Amino acid sequence: MLFPTLSFGLFFLVVFTIVWAANGSNEWRKILLLVASWVFYGAWDWRFVALLIGSALLNWGSAELIWYNREASAARRRAIMIAGVTGNLLILGFFKYYGFFVEQLGDILHAAGYARDLPLMQVVLPVGISFFTFQGMSYLADVHAERLAPAKLLDVTLLMSFFPHLVAGPIVRGSDLLPQFEESPRLTRDMASIGLILIVWGLFKKAVVASELSTGLVDPVFFDPAAHSRLDLIAAAYGYAVQIYCDFSAYSDMAIGIAALLGYRFPLNFNQPYRAQSLQDFWRRWHISLSSWLRDYLYIGALGGSRRGFARQCINLMLTMLLGGLWHGAKWTFVIWGGLHGGVLALERIWDRIRPEGFPRLPRVVGILITFHIVLVGWIFFRAESFDAAIAFLRGIGTAGVASDVLTPLACVLILFGMAIHFTPANLGQRLALQVRLLPAWALGLLVGITILIVDAMRFEGVAPFIYYQF
Amino acid sequence: MPQDTPSPIDLPEPELDEAGLGWSFGVVLIASLFLLCANAVSLRDWIDDQPPSSAQQQAAEWADEWVDTSEGLGIGLPRKAMHDQWKRVEEKRFPGAGQKERAESPGE
Repeated sequence: MLFPTLSFGLFFLVVFTIVWAANGSNEWRKILLLVASWVFYGAWDWRFVALLIGSALLNWGSAELIWYNREASAARRRAIMIAGVTGNLLILGFFKYYGFFVEQLGDILHAAGYARDLPLMQVVLPVGISFFTFQGMSYLADVHAERLAPAKLLDVTLLMSFFPHLVAGPIVRGSDLLPQFEESPRLTRDMASIGLILIVWGLFKKAVVASELSTGLVDPVFFDPAAHSRLDLIAAAYGYAVQIYCDFSAYSDMAIGIAALLGYRFPLNFNQPYRAQSLQDFWRRWHISLSSWLRDYLYIGALGGSRRGFARQCINLMLTMLLGGLWHGAKWTFVIWGGLHGGVLALERIWDRIRPEGFPRLPRVVGILITFHIVLVGWIFFRAESFDAAIAFLRGIGTAGVASDVLTPLACVLILFGMAIHFTPANLGQRLALQVRLLPAWALGLLVGITILIVDAMRFEGVAPFIYYQF
Repeated sequence: MPQDTPSPIDLPEPELDEAGLGWSFGVVLIASLFLLCANAVSLRDWIDDQPPSSAQQQAAEWADEWVDTSEGLGIGLPRKAMHDQWKRVEEKRFPGAGQKERAESPGE
């Protein structure tokens, strides 16, 4: 059930009505939201609802044990936390990385002269598994560090299953959402106004910009780079940068908007990432819920951040980004993408340290251009089917001709539009919401209806799944 | 609500005092009714995509009738006009585009 479809629209209308009708009892409200979330998830595959419930039980039980042992030794509490985190990693590892690691092991054994038949099997990847396991691990780490008290089973299960963020984030931490579950929420005009704006804006970015660029330009060029000209390859690289932003940020916007209409506040996940002046700045603006998760729980929590010297800090940065790359999927192209980001982040730190006193800083616009093009090269590896395909793509940019068969005026306009929205005032949506909240219901209803009608008239036939569903 | 983490939900001015639930229901209801009238084609396409059953067939017949009615009344025409215009924009090509394909095809 994809957000920009009529199936989801009808599902949401039913949930919106029933949940607010049950607002008198917070417990019943949460139970209804939980059931709705399972129906939403079960629309992909009912079998994985059991996995979701099992995962919630694991994290709830581990957190209870940590809390029960709060007077016991730190080593014991840490051991329980590590066992819980390992449980989450095993779930993630089995479903997401089993095939990849068995394949790599087979290659290594073959190279060493030990030809063995390893137990290969086709494992179906449950949608959103990377998101809900990361949520579970951060919940355990927060309870262990006593930043958060353990929550009731219902609340933990709803935290991990809540349908707006379930399949593609944002990774909403327990510390953000669990306190909101403690009492019945209130729907204000402010929340409804900004929620509706985010939903309609997300719908436009996904159904019009991302889908049009994907189908008309990016997919055909990345499918066979050798058959396309230099101009096509360059356009497809820029097109993909805009597509992935409009696709993923659209999902986040819609998730935040849907949660707001249900009375909950989700964190910001994107903040005009392509206006970043450095890669460090980029990661403060792109997929903020993942980058802050990696920073807090992996880079600082597990690896020690900058506490063990400068060299170790650079290694930690590299490790964090390599694992961040692997989080996206079991492919070497993701590892290379992570390595590129980690390497440049480390180089930025080194340059900050060795930069001579008074050495002029790059003009802002140059910093933005350099950062964007490093990110662009990373996206080619991220999007390519294989390492060889990425290299063929990059070689093609240097060698092929300039005649274009797939670049259209519309694609050019959409690429320019996708870049231009990064340089508008950052709080444009909020300013619009301040005006919209003053309108009578009938006027705003008509305005929302007309906008959705325009988007629907422009949308590409059929909606492809969001890029981040596969992660 | 915790305010430690920034959220796009936070508006830069104080919250309005007026209750929002009834107002929000009104907005959602009006938008849904408007789309039901002006975008009957999407509803028909969605029903046509559902797994076949007697209920689906009945719903598909009603949806066809509703599309005819809305087009007869003229309320479905703005969407059709916008869609046709968008298709024309999609089909626009730069001058000379596609020449490579033609040059490589010996049959032409």
